Amino acid sequence: MLRAAGKYRQAFLLGLQGSLVYRWNFAVRGFFSLFHLAAVFILWGAAFAGREQVGGFDLRQTLTYFTTILFLQFLISAFNEDYQISEEIRQGLINQFLLKPINYFLYRLSIFAAARLVSGALILLPLAVAYPFIHEALSFPSEPWRLAAAVPALFLSALVQFTIAYCFGLMTFWFLEIQGLVVLSMAVEAVLGGQIFPLDLLPPALHAVARFLPFYYQMYFPAAILTGRIGPTETAEGLALQAGWVVLLLLLAHALWVRGLRRHTAVGG
Amino acid sequence: MSALAHHFRVWAASARYSLTRALMFRGDFVIWSLVELFWMGVNLLLVEVIYRHTDSIAGWSRPEMLLLLGTSLLIQRLLMGFFWSGLYDLGRNVRNGHLDFFLAQPGSVMFMVSTRKLDPDGLVNSVVALGLVVYAAGELGLRPSPGQLALYAVLVGCGLVIHYSVLMLSTASVFWLTSAQGVEGGYFSLIEFSRMPREAFRGAAEVIFVWLLPVVVVSNAPARVLLHGFEPAWALGLAGFAALWLGLAVFVFHRGLRRYASASS
Repeated sequence: MLRAAGKYRQAFLLGLQGSLVYRWNFAVRGFFSLFHLAAVFILWGAAFAGREQVGGFDLRQTLTYFTTILFLQFLISAFNEDYQISEEIRQGLINQFLLKPINYFLYRLSIFAAARLVSGALILLPLAVAYPFIHEALSFPSEPWRLAAAVPALFLSALVQFTIAYCFGLMTFWFLEIQGLVVLSMAVEAVLGGQIFPLDLLPPALHAVARFLPFYYQMYFPAAILTGRIGPTETAEGLALQAGWVVLLLLLAHALWVRGLRRHTAVGG
Repeated sequence: MSALAHHFRVWAASARYSLTRALMFRGDFVIWSLVELFWMGVNLLLVEVIYRHTDSIAGWSRPEMLLLLGTSLLIQRLLMGFFWSGLYDLGRNVRNGHLDFFLAQPGSVMFMVSTRKLDPDGLVNSVVALGLVVYAAGELGLRPSPGQLALYAVLVGCGLVIHYSVLMLSTASVFWLTSAQGVEGGYFSLIEFSRMPREAFRGAAEVIFVWLLPVVVVSNAPARVLLHGFEPAWALGLAGFAALWLGLAVFVFHRGLRRYASASS
């Protein structure tokens, strides 16, 4: 057990080194994301002009939500893991993992965890720079249970994010080029994950449907817990649904891996 | 003039090659057309959701906002159609040394790099964006004169030049950084501002995004031509910005090119 953990610890450390090579890219990307935050503040500031609330929340709560979403994008979201997995399959690099006593999912998950640790830490820099300018516009709820509930929600969200990306990567066993499908799904995930607008602003019927989709648990759910957009009952139900989606996605990932390998042809030596 | 004709012939050959390629990989063409359509839909959905809860954003009504959004998307789709693939590949080509291929071509390196590929899916969706502009104009009951339409087209062209320049400046950072991945995202971050009315910007945001960076005027200027007719300050301002930013992009690209050391063994 410990030996197995040691393998993935090494993969994590390798991932950490690999991500640190591109630290400036993450940092620059983080600083550019401040432009996105500025755009959000300006747009929603203009939308709130002359009104106290939109969709039951005030301007500060809405801006807090978007700031949290930005942080979570760097902390738990999949960046290009699907593309990396796809390339490893396309170029035959995956063959080496078939011959070694290593679980490819756990190997990639270890690298994903390392990359998010680096990007999650680096986004704190631009947020710290922006903090003096935006702190008056932020308003986090003070209930301690939110932090306690956010920890498992964030962990499960990261798993949902990664496993969806992993499944898209494995699609390369069937399709030569998956980049189009990935970017297509990014649009769906961005909307139904609450990255474009808080999902509670959708018409109630659509919001109710969105709650049962996995995308809801990618980003909106932990952000809604942390920023006070959902209460304790909805949080408890959400955690159960989120865990259910994690199990389903892990099963799907396993099925894709097993069936995909049957189609895979390793060439060369 | 002959140099211009020569470059046009090179572009026409690249365009023919890209169209042939699109016809060969029809599935890819359909998928990428859908990708762009979906992302346009995302922007449209944001406007629709906000206007579910409010009547105006910075004094702009829903159809006015759709006109602005359509104009912004039109410029962006034209950029995607004409330049995106070439500039996206620039990052990789500098890293793996394939830029050598462009240096050996008979023409301006910046031109060759930028126009190597044409994306028909982007161009198809520019028609959809134009459809959104026409729809919004219809909702507003606008009847623009031929002069207004011509000026709108010219200003959309100026907007395209600015978008191209901003994207080139973002991508050319690859000459200094190990990878431009993520940095290219700077373009998308900045372009978000082009979907917002100029009146929404106040204080420091106005100085930065209206006066220093041309990201707001780029779509507001053409949209205002349809809404309010010819406004010299907006039209000339946008043309001036276009010249300035293109000059900056040319300068930075060529400074970067001097640092290029190839990667062949």
